[in-house]
Amino acid sequence: MEQQAELVMTKPTRHSLNRKGTLLKDIVRDKYLYLLLLPGLLLILLFRYGPMYGVVIAFQDYNIYKGIGGSEWVGFDQFQRLFRSPDFTEVLTNTIVISLYKLAASFSLPIILSLLLNELKNVVFKRIAQSIIYLPHFISWVIFSGIIITFLNPVDGMVNVIIRNFGGTPIDFLGDVRYFRSVLVLSDIYKEVGWGTIIYLAAIAGVSADLYEAARIDGANKLKQMWHVTLPAIRPVIIILVILSLANILEAGFQQIFLLYNALVYDVADILDTYVYRVGIQQADYSYATAAGLFKSAVAMILILTVNKIVKATGQDGLW
Amino acid sequence: MGMTRGEKWFMSANVLFFIVLMVIMVYPFWYMIMGSLSDSSLTADGGLFLLPAGFSFSAYLAVFQNVSILSGFKVTLITTVAGAFLGTFLSAAMAYALSKKRLRGQGIVLFLVLFTMLFSGGMIPSYLLVKELHMVDSYGALILPGLMSAWNIFVMIGFMRGLPEEVEEAAKIDGANDLGIFFRIVLPLSKPVLSTVGLFIAVGYWNDFFSSVLYATNKDMWQLQMVLKDLISNTSAAISQAGIAISVQQEVNAFTVKMASIIVSSLPILIVYPFLQKHFVKGALIGSVKG
Repeated sequence: MEQQAELVMTKPTRHSLNRKGTLLKDIVRDKYLYLLLLPGLLLILLFRYGPMYGVVIAFQDYNIYKGIGGSEWVGFDQFQRLFRSPDFTEVLTNTIVISLYKLAASFSLPIILSLLLNELKNVVFKRIAQSIIYLPHFISWVIFSGIIITFLNPVDGMVNVIIRNFGGTPIDFLGDVRYFRSVLVLSDIYKEVGWGTIIYLAAIAGVSADLYEAARIDGANKLKQMWHVTLPAIRPVIIILVILSLANILEAGFQQIFLLYNALVYDVADILDTYVYRVGIQQADYSYATAAGLFKSAVAMILILTVNKIVKATGQDGLW
Repeated sequence: MGMTRGEKWFMSANVLFFIVLMVIMVYPFWYMIMGSLSDSSLTADGGLFLLPAGFSFSAYLAVFQNVSILSGFKVTLITTVAGAFLGTFLSAAMAYALSKKRLRGQGIVLFLVLFTMLFSGGMIPSYLLVKELHMVDSYGALILPGLMSAWNIFVMIGFMRGLPEEVEEAAKIDGANDLGIFFRIVLPLSKPVLSTVGLFIAVGYWNDFFSSVLYATNKDMWQLQMVLKDLISNTSAAISQAGIAISVQQEVNAFTVKMASIIVSSLPILIVYPFLQKHFVKGALIGSVKG
């Protein structure tokens, strides 16, 4: 009885908040739900929305002793400084270029790999293969940077030992602008290519066996089956993933670059995030670094909103 | 269903391809294990490929006697356990409340959570906030800023909305309130999603070093990965900058110890990995937990 009454009541009151008392009554009724909601919400407000308020220092000449309240407002001065700085052009270019390289790899390779994984008929072998190629995703970039630094060390790293044994001269891969980006892209592929197959494999698993059988009867070989059956079936997933990574184009892989780069390769490796870190945390130029960070966050938000619109326009479920 | 010759050829080539790929994926770890087990006086010529040069556990002894590594272990253990439990619990609590459409203000809170995925204040304002809160060098600074993630909350809301309503209704008739329902019914029923989210949060905290970069000025508060980063970059920087400035013996010791500490600190990940595997597809949705 009570249940039914509640059901009848909640529906109309949602739209007629002016009915006095019902709001309060609802809140009292759900007091325990609010209690459950509260701690998490407070953490989000403090640690996510706090910094969002903090971005106002991008419009100030922030002084850590005066705080946000006492610092001088300077309008868009920090942004003018930023956009006029030669650093900014370089950093933005690096971010986009590195990101696009990685995008090209992360778009194509996991698809190919998942098609090939799907053709493994021995279930045990397939599962072992999957387990092993997913694993690097869970190993931290700190450990990976350790592996990379060890193997590429110009003095006694294995790669250079091999180069020397074949009569070549050792290469300082991490200190040479010609090689650094390749190291970034290749190590990123190594770490993430396996993990990238998971969503595709899930999509491939949903393709009906009848379709393959029909294609076989029509005389399609393996390659043609992949091309005409599997790929079209997973196309929606591919599109969504590519669009999503386009929205993240300003994320070029902060941790990886932070751990591997050095002053010798700033010209090709310094990205927005690393720039913000050096200028903001190391040089304590808080307002300027915040302006650079805000530029990134704002562009990222515009991109993701646009992307969501495009996805929805193609008739698929958006991100929300 | 016989296979054509071309198909047979393709199958074999494919298996071979994956064997090669697996070897490539495993080799660095194999190399490091062998390096860590090597006799430190024999690794100088870089002649290590497949088997340890000599054999010695001394690198592992050195790792377990290294004060900063032990301290890093302690800090990371605390942040990982606290972060995983707090993060999972608070996300589940929020998700349960938000899964109830009747909750007043539900829409606003959902939007607040969603918006954190679209826009962030960025590194510097976060850093200044933690500083202003006088949380630098505290466990709070290493755990709390990244604790709540919108993805985790949404994954849980999705799961909880799929739970059968009848069970809750029955408990309600028996006089249970929302708190009782959450603890006694929803949490036990949500075990699959709780363990997925919990494991991925734990991996995120275990692998985190950047919180230490930003929020730990005192080396006693460095996470394990930060200690490791320091160990790795110190020796390599010294080698590549000064040529052979530091003594060979020191460098060699550094090598085996470096390998051993990498192995030791990735071991916990390898131990939970089989458990992680059950949750991969959902986990792919959660993505990288800590931004």
